[in-house]
Amino acid sequence: MESMTQFRVAAEAAGAVLVECQHLVEAVTFIAERAAGDLLLPGSVSCHRVRLAEQLRGAGLNMLPVTRDQAAEAAAGVTSACFAIADTGTLVLESTAEDVRLATTLPTRHFVLLDRRKIVADGLAAVEPLRRMHQQNPRNYIAYITGPSRTADIERVLTIGVHGPKELYILLLDDWSEDLLEM
Amino acid sequence: MSLPEGKKMNKQRSKAYQVRIDKALATPRLQQALHQFGDAYLIAREKAFAGLDFEALRQEIGAMKDDVRLNHEKYLQQFIANAQAAGATVYQAATAEDANRYIADLAKQQGVKLSVKSKSMASEETHLNKALEAAGITPLETDLGEWILQLSGQRPSHMVMPAIHMFKEEVAELFSRETGRTEVADIPHLVEVARQQLRQGYLDADMGISGANIAIAETGGIALVTNEGNARLTTTLPKTHVALVGIDKLVPTLEDAAKVIRVLPKNATGQALTSYVTWIRGAIPGGDGEKDLHIVLLDNGRSRLAEDEKCCDTSRCIRCGACANVCPVYQSVGGHVFGHIYIGAVGIILTAFFHGLDNAAELVKACIGCRSCVAVCPANIDLEGIILSLRETIADKEGLGVGKSLVFRKVMRNRKLFHSLLRAASKLQKPVTRGQRSIRHLPHFFSSLTEWRTLPAIADRPLRDIWPGQNLQAPQKKVALFGGCANDFLYPELGSDLVEVMNHLNVVVDYPQKQNCCGVPALYSGDKETAVELAKQNIDALLEGNPDAVLTTCPTCTMALQRDFVEHFKDDSPWRAKAEKLASITVDAAGYIVNQLGAADQFADLPLAQKVTYHDSCHLKRGAGVWREPRQLIETSGHQLVEMDHADRCCGFGGSYSLTSHPDIARKILEDKLQDIEKSGADCVAMDCPGCMMQMRGGLEKQESRVRVTHTIELLAAGLRAK
Ligand code: SF4
Ligand code: SF4
Repeated sequence: MESMTQFRVAAEAAGAVLVECQHLVEAVTFIAERAAGDLLLPGSVSCHRVRLAEQLRGAGLNMLPVTRDQAAEAAAGVTSACFAIADTGTLVLESTAEDVRLATTLPTRHFVLLDRRKIVADGLAAVEPLRRMHQQNPRNYIAYITGPSRTADIERVLTIGVHGPKELYILLLDDWSEDLLEM
Repeated sequence: MSLPEGKKMNKQRSKAYQVRIDKALATPRLQQALHQFGDAYLIAREKAFAGLDFEALRQEIGAMKDDVRLNHEKYLQQFIANAQAAGATVYQAATAEDANRYIADLAKQQGVKLSVKSKSMASEETHLNKALEAAGITPLETDLGEWILQLSGQRPSHMVMPAIHMFKEEVAELFSRETGRTEVADIPHLVEVARQQLRQGYLDADMGISGANIAIAETGGIALVTNEGNARLTTTLPKTHVALVGIDKLVPTLEDAAKVIRVLPKNATGQALTSYVTWIRGAIPGGDGEKDLHIVLLDNGRSRLAEDEKCCDTSRCIRCGACANVCPVYQSVGGHVFGHIYIGAVGIILTAFFHGLDNAAELVKACIGCRSCVAVCPANIDLEGIILSLRETIADKEGLGVGKSLVFRKVMRNRKLFHSLLRAASKLQKPVTRGQRSIRHLPHFFSSLTEWRTLPAIADRPLRDIWPGQNLQAPQKKVALFGGCANDFLYPELGSDLVEVMNHLNVVVDYPQKQNCCGVPALYSGDKETAVELAKQNIDALLEGNPDAVLTTCPTCTMALQRDFVEHFKDDSPWRAKAEKLASITVDAAGYIVNQLGAADQFADLPLAQKVTYHDSCHLKRGAGVWREPRQLIETSGHQLVEMDHADRCCGFGGSYSLTSHPDIARKILEDKLQDIEKSGADCVAMDCPGCMMQMRGGLEKQESRVRVTHTIELLAAGLRAK
């Protein structure tokens, strides 16, 4: 199976929503429609490059400073992903900076921008970029995210959204970033 | 008779354990839940592993973990150096108390009031919460299952799904008490309550405590494999992070970690991957500065386990919990009874090393030896074999009990005495059997034995006395039959049928008269000495006539001849060579016909076709790896094969397990089996084990079922006779 197809099938099976975008503006519009409140937008090279904050503001969204006190008030976090893993539908986020962790753990919704070219085959293929991340950043916190937060701890009934985000949106883009290590 | 103090205490312990078994067996709702989970698990697991070669994956993990065990110091030092270089403080805790003290002292020093915890079996192992509370620190469990248990004052009953024994109504009651409102027993609502209630905890806590699924030597980092997201919050918000990590979690490289992660969730719950895999290396930014990371490396018996000659493979365990998921004993009594802190097959072994042999003694005996755990273990651990060796250790320490040791040492080792007693018993039982082949009721004292199944009578004349003469012109092969006690004394006609079937293939069968019991009853009771003596007698008896093969009709005997005998003599070279020779020519009858003679088609289209379902005996399928062969014989001979559900689930026989040690659990396991048999709609259930025959025939006769029980060999012989 082509890795994009495999990624889509696996991510959807894990409960993520995939959104095909031709241009960034579609992604911005989608976020504006679904955010349902204030946003957290942690610092990121790729987001900065396209002035994502301005565009989101232009679409009428409000961004809160990503601090411990305010993060808990936000409705959604917006980040990009370094790369994705096809066979399990997983997103890889360099989360060493605290603002990334706050934005991806506390709010109800998480929007992730992913370049369609940045998909590796499986967990073993992910080790090479993972190792480079370790070299680039000797102290690190790297998150593999597959679908929204879930539990089956009561009577083994699968329930979405226990501590982390309840909704995970993956916005697929072209020409966003080619570097597997870039968030 | 007055027992020595130790014996008295053991008796009390056994009694107390029996009470817990009775209580669990009287909770059908729990059994139902565990059975449902077991079924759903198998389906999900199969799907998760589709297209992957499980056997190859587990060999690889086993080999990698062995490398870590053999070079432990090197990897440990590498891990520590890398973790320290990344700013972590590493503490090596020799014992549970040591680990608890370090964490509690650290919390006190830092003025911690509240500490949030994500799920950690290691912290259950050390009873960390108690130690924190004693130091005036409030531990708050944030994993939903663990929080439920904390609120109800219980311990986990499963390593991956800690509160699997609880129902939503109970959870609603606990949560209502916590919130002061009435929370309805609706699962999504209860999950939302947990989200709201625990949220503030992360923000208020000064310390987050986690475990780790993997510790990577190459990086000095840890990996957490989780679903809920609480571990991410626990390791992000509080300024101090303490990771309590068993030293057996070490792997050399990131590739090795990726390999563990590829298998762990698939084998644990049938999930392709958990929602989160979190890689943490060193002191990362947090608040205004950087976080304070402490890694507490816990030994607490792990080094002893790794150095133990018989049990060391257990160090490979990746704690997926699967060995419990598939265990018929776990499914019958749950993890609070079939476990201490760690549960299921691996729990028995870990308990012996982490919490003392005494806490494991009853658990060791409660295992029926079905090897389901072995088949599913992703680290390729022979759990059943290790549990068996622990049974020996415990028997050595505690003694066997007067009755048993008399039977094993004085009677069974003396074949003539043993067999003449069996013959005498055949006469003595007359008033009870009234000449019937099954005993339906036993008088007063023993009546509980036939309460739920009939028992076979001892045959008038054993197989050795009725061995048929054979007139083959030029036999293509000469084989010996190892009958085993059941075939010899309970079901001699099975032996005659085997001769008929083999003669049909132009194979002559000899019955070496000096053969004795295979020794499994003694071995499984922990009397290795008797087992070794019996092995010697049998090796000599069976090799004497230099047969082309030694056939068996009982897979437990097969395992004794193929595995246990070789193991007994591995350091005894003259015997070792003989044992290996015997092992190499020993084969079960169906496997011999199909694989070695390639003669299944010699039974094509026999008369008396019926609807047959097949029961896989534990030791045949998971010991000898034979399960296709009997099915092929059944179908070739013209029967309609209908599969029952859970065909390879244990029937609950287990020898003395169902007769004396744990008849009530055995009965429960049999009930499940009988249901599956009836549901299949078959006229007849075939199998290749006299023990299973005894159990299932006993159960079916007792409930007056129309389904008959037969050995595959008997089925073939009946067809040949009707031709
Ligand atoms: S051998 Fe069978 S009964 Fe014993 S622990 Fe393994 S699965 Fe359970
Ligand atoms: S022993 Fe094997 S099956 Fe049991 S928890 Fe460990 S890895 Fe899993």
